[in-house]
Amino acid sequence: MRKTLLVLTCIGMMATTAMAGGYQVRLQGARQTGMGLIGTPMAFGSSSIFYNPGAMGFHDSRFDFTIGGSTILSRISYQAIGSDYSAKTDNPVSTPFFFYAQAKITEKLVAGVGVYTPYGSKSVWPDDWKGRYLIQNIGLQAIYIQPTISYKLTDWLGIGAGLVLVNGKVDLEKGVPYNEGSKATLSGTANSMGFNVGVFIKPCEKLAIGIDYRSHIDTEVEGGDATFSVPASLNTLIPASNKFNASLPLPANLDFGVSYKVNEKWTVAFELDYVFWGKYDTLKFTFEESGDKLNSVNPRLYSNRLIPRIGAEYTLNEKLQFRFGAYYDQTPTNQDYFNPETVSLNTLALSAGVTYKPLPNLRIDVSYLQLHGMESERSYLPANFSGKYRSFTAIPGLGITYSF
Amino acid sequence: MKTRNFFFLLATLAIVACQPEIDEFQAAPGTANFTKYVSIGNSLTAGYSDGALYHSAQMNSYPSIMAAQFAKAGGGNFVQPVVASEYGVLPGKRVLGFATDCKGVTSLAPVAATGTPDGLTPVGYAVNNFGVPGAKSYHLLAGHYGDPAGLVTTPMTANPYFVRFASTIETSVIEDVMAAQPTFFSLWIGNNDVLGYALAGGENNAAGETVTDPTFFSTVYTGIVNTLMTTKAKGVLANIPDITSIPFFTTVPYNGLVLTAEQAAQLNGAYQLVEAYLASIGVPYTYNFNFQAGPNAFVIEDRNFPIAALPDYLKVRQMKPGELLLLTVPQDELKCNGMGSFDAVNSKPYGIPQNYVLDEDEVAAITTATAAYNATIKSVALANNLAHVDMAQKLKDAKSGLVYDGVSFNTTFVTGGIFSLDGVHMNQQGAAIVANYFIEAINAAYSATVPMAEVTAYPGIVFP
Repeated sequence: MRKTLLVLTCIGMMATTAMAGGYQVRLQGARQTGMGLIGTPMAFGSSSIFYNPGAMGFHDSRFDFTIGGSTILSRISYQAIGSDYSAKTDNPVSTPFFFYAQAKITEKLVAGVGVYTPYGSKSVWPDDWKGRYLIQNIGLQAIYIQPTISYKLTDWLGIGAGLVLVNGKVDLEKGVPYNEGSKATLSGTANSMGFNVGVFIKPCEKLAIGIDYRSHIDTEVEGGDATFSVPASLNTLIPASNKFNASLPLPANLDFGVSYKVNEKWTVAFELDYVFWGKYDTLKFTFEESGDKLNSVNPRLYSNRLIPRIGAEYTLNEKLQFRFGAYYDQTPTNQDYFNPETVSLNTLALSAGVTYKPLPNLRIDVSYLQLHGMESERSYLPANFSGKYRSFTAIPGLGITYSF
Repeated sequence: MKTRNFFFLLATLAIVACQPEIDEFQAAPGTANFTKYVSIGNSLTAGYSDGALYHSAQMNSYPSIMAAQFAKAGGGNFVQPVVASEYGVLPGKRVLGFATDCKGVTSLAPVAATGTPDGLTPVGYAVNNFGVPGAKSYHLLAGHYGDPAGLVTTPMTANPYFVRFASTIETSVIEDVMAAQPTFFSLWIGNNDVLGYALAGGENNAAGETVTDPTFFSTVYTGIVNTLMTTKAKGVLANIPDITSIPFFTTVPYNGLVLTAEQAAQLNGAYQLVEAYLASIGVPYTYNFNFQAGPNAFVIEDRNFPIAALPDYLKVRQMKPGELLLLTVPQDELKCNGMGSFDAVNSKPYGIPQNYVLDEDEVAAITTATAAYNATIKSVALANNLAHVDMAQKLKDAKSGLVYDGVSFNTTFVTGGIFSLDGVHMNQQGAAIVANYFIEAINAAYSATVPMAEVTAYPGIVFP
């Protein structure tokens, strides 16, 4: 089993998973992950392409390359209300990844590119579970490619902007209530664009302030494949092969962070991330054929959320650093429109990380993040589907940075 | 990769050790005792479905579903008089298939199933489920109700289904129930006291189906419950749904005669000719029919026709709102031969025969009796501190729709998902819904926490 997982970890760096905060995954840098995912007020090198393009020019090296990823091991428990029914997801291991490269063109101008996966969700519920008519399996993923430039206006102020190109993919399977085993399978891809802008301010050597805004992006699936396995007698009403359109919003983020270098050994930081989940109002599906029977408008009614984070870094010597962090991620989902396709609970997260520098220009960052999705009773009223949910997630991560 | 493997192992350990546990549901019997549960009733209790008592529907009869839930709260074994055949004890099972009508149109419809019936060989063991298809309230008290000799008398004095599991030739249902020494019982009886009459279209047919007199019902019902109470058992009583909640009586609407303007004009003309004929033979009569484009009330035979001397085929009227047509009304006759409107081939009125119609008097008789039975059931439940399921109200609510786990249910025939293909009995998901109504009432009355059954875990109607 372990071997299989490792193989998946190494070669299958394609999928992502959401544990908290809807289907957002912010595992875009192992150093930041170790510090409770704080990155906006940090100039950690090319991973600033994601966290704050304004900080790219504040890194010392001329070239900086970072590659890494995480392994998400998550479990979700469900307990029905008023009955002894319970279920646990058997979520596959998923592995969000990142790759960044940046180069100083002049002392002030830096160019770079990042490839990363900030949104995703993968849940596999037991076969024929109670919620199968809501969701059986789902996989969402979005790969972002972000060419970026950053300009260091002065010694204390940098700005940066990136164009975000998104390739999104959705696969889902759910039961349809005809005969046992009747189901629908939907699969589609979408391409769209957005941007990421940041400002990095360093009023003095010890203090850094970062502000970053990543735009809202709508991923529109057009002409996705829909397959309906229904009894033959119903195929005139519900064709076996169909095409569908759907749109999933990837919400905007406004991040604000402050870091303070207490002394040579300690750096502390805090950050507030505001996520514009409120845009996720409904999930609509329209079908090319038999639309009158199949089209659906499904309320989600998410709310904007503010995530507070704290973190600290301790430098032991030139070769070793340690870091810790914590944050509280309040679910953007609606109490009454909570669909098990995205089990997002109020989540307390704790993180830790270690950096080892075998060579002056090579660093290996290892991180561990643990998420506790707190037990909560939730309903999806349109389906009269209620239950208690709880989740636990362990995410080891690794990043390798080479700079010169 | 060593460090990485180490962290991966750590995470794997964490995920194994830190399963997100939620407190399990705590099932408890409260003040009830489910050690020996017996169910008493008719075809609904037996697990009759799709026009037959067959294996899988019997396995998921509502009492069987309840017993499985009781088992989580200290309940014991639950034995049914097992039917081996998927076809049934007796012929009559229907399945969803394709039928071609008189106009050559093929569509999805209930059709006769094929198979070999089990027959009436006694099972030879004691049971917990005393659901006897066809039983009326007073039949539960009848001696020799399981006597094979009573099956060949006219009228029948025994019941073929009880023949299968009666302990002796002489016994009655209630005697066998008492011998089982229940600690908990459910009683849902009285449906057939009106349904027998209703299913026959309110006619005095060969079986002599009448509405059981409510006073007699009260005496019988009170007697049954008083007998059961001597065991010190606790229990639950369910009342009788209104026939207007049952698709057998609601699927074909009274105004289902849908006409084009041309057809309406033809029909009006035809009845003018009939009226002219009546005038010509000296019995002038005006039908007062005014057919129009769109839905029209069907023409039915009229037993109270003002001119009694006329031949039956001329004694017709249009249906009134609130009058009901049975599901069994021959569709091909309606579609192609003018039943319910006019027989064009033989140029004569063609009213729907009375045995397919519940007219206003018949509906009133049924409704009044049902209300009286339900008053009795309610007061007997109160007097004996028994749980009470207002099934009449529950089914009325179900008419406007229920949703379980994303699946919608209502009382519409076939597509509604509650009733089986006979239009009277529940399918297996419907049985689970009914079982939950019982459990809900039991939990409330006895401070119990019996877990609800998972409705969508049971099979519904099977599509070909």
